[in-house]
Amino acid sequence: MSSSVRSKNSRRMTPSYLFSTDHKAIGRAYFFLSLAAVLAGAWLSLLMRIHLVWPHAEIPFLGEIKPENYLAQLTMHGTLMVFFVLSTVPQAGFGTFFLPLQLGASNMAFPRLTAVGFWTALVSLFVLMAAFIVPGGASSAGWTQYPPLSALASAGPGQGLGTDLWLVSIGLFCLSSLMSAVGFVATTVRHRAPGMTWLRMPLTCWSWFVTSLLILLAFGILLAAVVLLMLDRHAGTSFFIPGGLLVSGKAIAHAGGSPLMWQHLFWFFGHPEVYIAILPAMGVTSHLLSVFARKPVFGYKAMVGATLAIGALGFMVWGHHMFVSGMNPYAGFAFSTLTTAIAVPSAIKTFNWVATLYGGRIRYATPLLFSAGFVSLFITGGLTGPILAQPALDTYLHDTYFVVAHFHLIMAMAGVFAIFSATYFWFPKMFGRMMNETLGRWHFWITLLGAYATFMPMHLLGIAGHPRRYSELSGVQYVAAMAPLQKFVTLAAIVTLVGQLIFLVNLFWSMFKGPAAKANPWECSTLEWTLNSPAPVEGFGDRRPQVNHGPYEYNVSLAEKDFVMQDAAAS
Amino acid sequence: MPIISDRVEVERKPRLGGGGPGKIPHRRGFGGGDDGDHGNSGDFRSREQRMRRYRVGMTLCIISVTAIFVLLTMVYVLRMGKGRFDEDAHRWVRDWIPLSLPYLQLWTNSLVLLLSSLTLELARRSMAKKEEFAAMGIVPPRFKRDLPWLGITVFLGFCFLAGQVLVWNILRAQGAFLASNPSRSLFYILTGTHAVHLVGGLVALLYAVAGRLLATKFESQRIAVEVTGWYWHYLAFLWFGIFALVHFARG
Amino acid sequence: MSRALRLALLLIVIGCAYLFQAHPYWFPGGASANSVSIDRQFRIAFRVFGTLFIVGHLVLIFVLSKKPRADGKVSEGSWRLEATWTLVVTIIFFWFNISGERLWSSMMPAEKQPGEIEVEVTGAQFQWYFRYPGADGVFGRTDAQKFAKPDEGNPLGIDPGDPAGRDDILSTSMIVPVGHSVHLHLRAQDVIHSLFIPAMRFKQDTVPGMEIHSHFTPTQVGNYEIACAELCGMGHYRMRAVVRVVSEDDFQRWLRARTWPQ
Repeated sequence: MSSSVRSKNSRRMTPSYLFSTDHKAIGRAYFFLSLAAVLAGAWLSLLMRIHLVWPHAEIPFLGEIKPENYLAQLTMHGTLMVFFVLSTVPQAGFGTFFLPLQLGASNMAFPRLTAVGFWTALVSLFVLMAAFIVPGGASSAGWTQYPPLSALASAGPGQGLGTDLWLVSIGLFCLSSLMSAVGFVATTVRHRAPGMTWLRMPLTCWSWFVTSLLILLAFGILLAAVVLLMLDRHAGTSFFIPGGLLVSGKAIAHAGGSPLMWQHLFWFFGHPEVYIAILPAMGVTSHLLSVFARKPVFGYKAMVGATLAIGALGFMVWGHHMFVSGMNPYAGFAFSTLTTAIAVPSAIKTFNWVATLYGGRIRYATPLLFSAGFVSLFITGGLTGPILAQPALDTYLHDTYFVVAHFHLIMAMAGVFAIFSATYFWFPKMFGRMMNETLGRWHFWITLLGAYATFMPMHLLGIAGHPRRYSELSGVQYVAAMAPLQKFVTLAAIVTLVGQLIFLVNLFWSMFKGPAAKANPWECSTLEWTLNSPAPVEGFGDRRPQVNHGPYEYNVSLAEKDFVMQDAAAS
Repeated sequence: MPIISDRVEVERKPRLGGGGPGKIPHRRGFGGGDDGDHGNSGDFRSREQRMRRYRVGMTLCIISVTAIFVLLTMVYVLRMGKGRFDEDAHRWVRDWIPLSLPYLQLWTNSLVLLLSSLTLELARRSMAKKEEFAAMGIVPPRFKRDLPWLGITVFLGFCFLAGQVLVWNILRAQGAFLASNPSRSLFYILTGTHAVHLVGGLVALLYAVAGRLLATKFESQRIAVEVTGWYWHYLAFLWFGIFALVHFARG
Repeated sequence: MSRALRLALLLIVIGCAYLFQAHPYWFPGGASANSVSIDRQFRIAFRVFGTLFIVGHLVLIFVLSKKPRADGKVSEGSWRLEATWTLVVTIIFFWFNISGERLWSSMMPAEKQPGEIEVEVTGAQFQWYFRYPGADGVFGRTDAQKFAKPDEGNPLGIDPGDPAGRDDILSTSMIVPVGHSVHLHLRAQDVIHSLFIPAMRFKQDTVPGMEIHSHFTPTQVGNYEIACAELCGMGHYRMRAVVRVVSEDDFQRWLRARTWPQ
């Protein structure tokens, strides 16, 4: 039985497939988990945008959206997108599938642990979504869950059971990420094929590796913080709840806690989390720009160094989320400087991406388009970073739409562009078929222009002082005056979101009807392309790849092709 | 960087049904991995690889657990130092009430944990010795001491947990509940989190002890004991860290 | 395809540049002493980073249009180039950072100066309260849990037994005299709120359990809106108040009129 036939059979949803410890099955499962989460998250953002500019619009089946519904949607949108999409699919999704294959291993180091990690993430997603159907609805304290709002059930609807479910879900997600990350690091350290030295690893593997290290440190901290908040809510402790509170006319018995402590703990996790989301995206972009420009990555070692520097500095900048929180203002100096420092390796990466494209024989396939879009969005979103890093300027911009625009461009849109490029690129290896290029291009144009049309105007809203997380514009007069621009943003968002239907159609149509993929359709040099498409269940099987080349040996003049596979015989 | 070569996870057949032990025809005694290197049962290298892989995994777990305890220690120190300005009294007041610890019980527990660390080390070494015989292809002499050491460790582990429950009961009898003061909250949280992690180690040891019943291969037992050994020593070290914290920083 | 991509990027650059040039919405006019230097820093920021945005995209467009070299040689990297651009961005970013740090240190909340107008700001779901110490210059002690009765005109819970609280003035808008430094005591009764006065370029979270001190100096008479800038629950969007900056005389008249009868 040939491997491709067997793999086709394996894609049937049988129990044995579902409970597989095969990293490829788990990677695909993560992909679909994130797809479900992104659909829910995008739907929520659509509801929010509509409510914001047409507060009395009747949504089919849901009716009118009330302020507390808006806040619940906002919280769930953020949580779904940050945890279950941006930190899941680039790392746990593509990483679980391709890390072993790119390293020349046939599975993750701890296959069962990786599988349990996925199932924990799935349970976590169900727990989170269950919040929509409990009394009071989902949590409405935002994805950052600042106490006392998040610590007291009386502080608002959704602050009861909905918030408990949120905390349980995130606790489970932490465990899931930790399990997954242990497998990633152990695989990278122990399971590289012979000859796969550290500096022959593709940059994707480097970024998965560094991201896993960040996860190991950051998610343990979030887990502990979530447990402490849970104890504050139910066991009567006072870590985050100060004394003397009067909420909804009721005196609160807690005393002595500090709301700022939660912010410190949360952002000590939360800022590395930003890099957990974006480092794999950077890795994918570096990889794809090289493949499609048919050129080696410019400054491979500088890229590796920048990745490590970003990972290390990522733990030292959390205070820039707290310039107006009441933190000691002198801390602002240090955090501002450290934040400026972390902008430098990010800029180095950008320069290297541009230099990688320079003078290449660029093949304008859909993955390249999305990668180029990533670079553009990363420049645009990144350049507002140093502005927000200044305490004096952030004082004005903090918690306005300027910040919303900044992180949606650099984290959400750039991250999503990398996810799209990785999907178009690796689809043949994951599903054995090619995605449609024409649809892919249309998807790209709509998404690129739509992303800019949606998020660029938000800068102006923020500059004019529009605070974020407002469920209606009518409450404050100068905010109400910004309704026309908000309407434009909503229209742009609707067009962008409708454009994503092209992707969905392309994805599912190609999964079943797309043209069969060759083993190496993109003429890529890394090890996963030495396998058939889709990647056979047994991985490399009895063959032990012997790596003799670097990951990006393109633009060599051989008779029949312009690249050298990593496992080609040494010259 | 040395060139690393291994193929531990080779799967000959599409083992879609997941990789529990027992899928592969099991041979009692030595040899054969349970999740991949079957067919290479004579290849000791691959067994060594498996052990190394688990050691790396355990190191990572320890890093992650350390992060959690560093955070809890920070919360402890910050919460202890935090006060508020009392406008009536015109001075800073702290709400931290020092805890009177049941030292006798705590020292007993420490001793028990230290002993269990020692017995586990003995168990680990005897198993390592056994493995060397196996590597040479000699069926090792039956060491009478092996399993008892492991059993004693498990017993001592349970004794430590029971001792911790005793400590908590003593404190509760004093009226020191989780919610009564941050010093109490943090004592319960630190010791409780430590106990939860210890339970994890106990489960792994029980897996090794029950190996005969579960028909686990020697190799898996050996790995379980080896990496749990690291973990156990780490938890003992951690325990003394916690003890030192709650003693020296009573407030 | 290359041409289409370059065209799209060019369109984006032109569109964004036009958007910021035309700026249908922009900063509200500054009305505080700090707003001048903050606005200057913003102008520098938008010029520098706007230029970098345009240059970055033009370089990207140029690179996409660059043909491969005829001899087929490509570069795998160059430490000299890496060092150059690292140095260039480090200089730009840190020059900007240092200028920002200087601005921040000039704005640093100082100790209370004599002659400052004292206002205590309290955020509660979903209302701002402003309290003035009255003639004695001392705020009465508050205990929201014991004494707060919003229906009876004592939402903050001023202790009826404290003589210092008898002459405290409570208002739902902030009345301040022009040209005077206003010293704020920021508090919250239930959850975190954030006092945001765009025209004063002022924002500070109010955190329950903390009293945060801050200050600003209004320089123009007028009414300015306050918005809440930290998610505080359902009514977050309508937690609005007004700063009324009035002349010194009007302020004194208002103080006298509003002082509680002894």
